[in-house]
Amino acid sequence: MAIIDIKNITKVYNSDQIPVHALNGIDLQIEAGEFTAIVGPSGSGKTTLLNILGGLDDPTSGNININGVDLFSLNQKQLTEYRLHHIGFVFQSYNLIPVLTARENIEFILQIQGKDAKHFRQRSLELLEAVGLVDKADKMPSELSGGQQQRVAVARALASNPDFVLADEPTANLDSASTSNLLDIMATMNSELGITFIFSTHDQRVVERATRIVTLVDGKIFSDENR
Amino acid sequence: MSSRAIIVLSWKNVWRNPVRSGIVILSVVVATWSGIFMVGFFNGMTVQFVRDQLQNYTSHIQIHDTRYVDESLPEFTIREADQIINSLQAFDFVTQVTPRTVINGLISSANNNYGVTIEGVRPDLEVQTTAIHSYLIEGEYLTGSLRNPVFIGSDLAQKLAVQLRSRIVLTFQDKQGNITAGAFRIEGIFKTPNKAFNEGNILVRADDLNRLLGDEQAVHEIIVMVDDYMKSEDYALQIQSVLSNEVVVRSWKDLSPMLKYIESSMDISMYLVMVILIIALCFGVINTMLMAVLERTAELGMLRAVGLNKFKSFTMIMLETTFLTMIGSPLGLLLGWSFNAWYGEKGIDLAFFSKGLELYGFNSMIYPELGLTYYLDITLLMLLATVFSAIFPALKALKLNPVEAIRKH
Ligand SMILES: Nc1ncnc2c1ncn2[C@@H]1O[C@H](COP(=O)(O)OP(=O)(O)OP(=O)(O)O)[C@@H](O)[C@H]1O
Ligand SMILES: [Mg+2]
Repeated sequence: MAIIDIKNITKVYNSDQIPVHALNGIDLQIEAGEFTAIVGPSGSGKTTLLNILGGLDDPTSGNININGVDLFSLNQKQLTEYRLHHIGFVFQSYNLIPVLTARENIEFILQIQGKDAKHFRQRSLELLEAVGLVDKADKMPSELSGGQQQRVAVARALASNPDFVLADEPTANLDSASTSNLLDIMATMNSELGITFIFSTHDQRVVERATRIVTLVDGKIFSDENR
Repeated sequence: MSSRAIIVLSWKNVWRNPVRSGIVILSVVVATWSGIFMVGFFNGMTVQFVRDQLQNYTSHIQIHDTRYVDESLPEFTIREADQIINSLQAFDFVTQVTPRTVINGLISSANNNYGVTIEGVRPDLEVQTTAIHSYLIEGEYLTGSLRNPVFIGSDLAQKLAVQLRSRIVLTFQDKQGNITAGAFRIEGIFKTPNKAFNEGNILVRADDLNRLLGDEQAVHEIIVMVDDYMKSEDYALQIQSVLSNEVVVRSWKDLSPMLKYIESSMDISMYLVMVILIIALCFGVINTMLMAVLERTAELGMLRAVGLNKFKSFTMIMLETTFLTMIGSPLGLLLGWSFNAWYGEKGIDLAFFSKGLELYGFNSMIYPELGLTYYLDITLLMLLATVFSAIFPALKALKLNPVEAIRKH
């Protein structure tokens, strides 16, 4: 069963005189446990699609249904709440709060979810263990390499047990070793824990790790292949 | 749980740029401290001035015959003054009472004549009530070792070209309206900080004056000192209520509109000084915090994206600003208070400027003082200022669009 059902999404930016059609009718279903790469040339609409999918941005038309919830029937406040509990995010950079340690960054999400405090520490250490950074738990982000920071970000994204994780070019700032390391971790979580990942990338080596590749061109789905 | 996380994060954010936060905190400290000290200084100066004026010249409360208030003629004496003086003993707040005979007349030396106010006093009571005697610079104070002694101001003595033991003649109307005159000898010379008083007022013994006046019991004025001069108006009303309306009881605020004005305008100017300082401070704090928010656009956008709601992001920035001022203001309050306490005890010597100050009747030693209510008001003002300056940066954080904030980087 599809956990995400995207129906005829369009997005038009009217910021300049000429309207920009960033997305031109996207239809897409994502199944639980998929490991999907969104690819395409620069400006093809990858970021726009991921933002809309994450409830960060409104589509101009169309709708998105996630596990039976019509995402855009929610108001701003409910959307924020929805993101907090159901969606994990990994951005290209600025993922971590610089004044908190790796562990505290993960715990922060649990805390603002208002969950029971008892297991926070254990849970955050488990997650750091899963991304291979338990020994760096008490390090500040500035003391971690870019790759390590992204791994903490993945751990943080998983803290809330989200329905799926959105990652917009998570490896764009990483060298090839760190890139493959991060991808290994994400792939392991996908295969062993069944975490659904949707990520965009320009990197051919990253694309190759995906089990499904959706290619966008000019805001339309050009191809959609399973491997 | 979640509010605790926000508080902790805000606190850590304050120390993200310790130098900048330190400067803001320091400026809060310095502004509060200097503001309080400055206000304490001017308040001390004013309170002291008012107190001195009351102690030396105006006194706290005066009682006169109703007719005397309209026209101060010698015949308008207070009826049954003894009885009134006795009835004043019933009031707990009354600390001293002394009757006076007050007449406008002419003082003449061999060289000159001047119009003066002649105050006939009871030396034993007067020294306990007012402070003129303490300004003696030569001779003695109305001891009576001379016949008809007079205590005159240095400035007047100079104008009359007289010295200790010089003979002068006082001329005035007696009770019947006839011109009378008496010879007096200068027994003492005073010099108060007020030149006009030194020139225009002389003290003699009431008994000597009354004999010439033709009424041994004459009293024109009853001087009343009370335990708290700030309550004089209320006390005057209480006294009036037990006396007949043949007499008028007036507090210093009625007697000296100038002092009343000085006293009341002090409050306004003190708050004005504080408000101006605090407004300047607010701009500094707002500016710094806006910068802090702007620098963290991407991070704040990320936080909103992952699910930190608007209320929590608003609170977080509000708290950061609040922490900055909350660290600084108690420190500033404490420093200001200790400076006021220390110098309130020791005094600040403005001898350097004292020539100018004395002209206006100010003392050259200033003892800063500030009532508790002012500290409370200032604390309240600081709290208001904190909320005020916290709101703008927090609103800025609220307005930020997560998508744009993230995309920009
Ligand atoms: N806020 C905006 N205002 C106007 N146009 C925008 C805005 N955001 C995106 N666009 C435009 O929408 C189109 C899609 O942009 P998007 O960022 O989604 O592409 P992308 O596939 O993520 O590109 P890249 O690979 O460079 O990240 C582009 O033409 C872009 O210029
Ligand atoms: Mg993009």
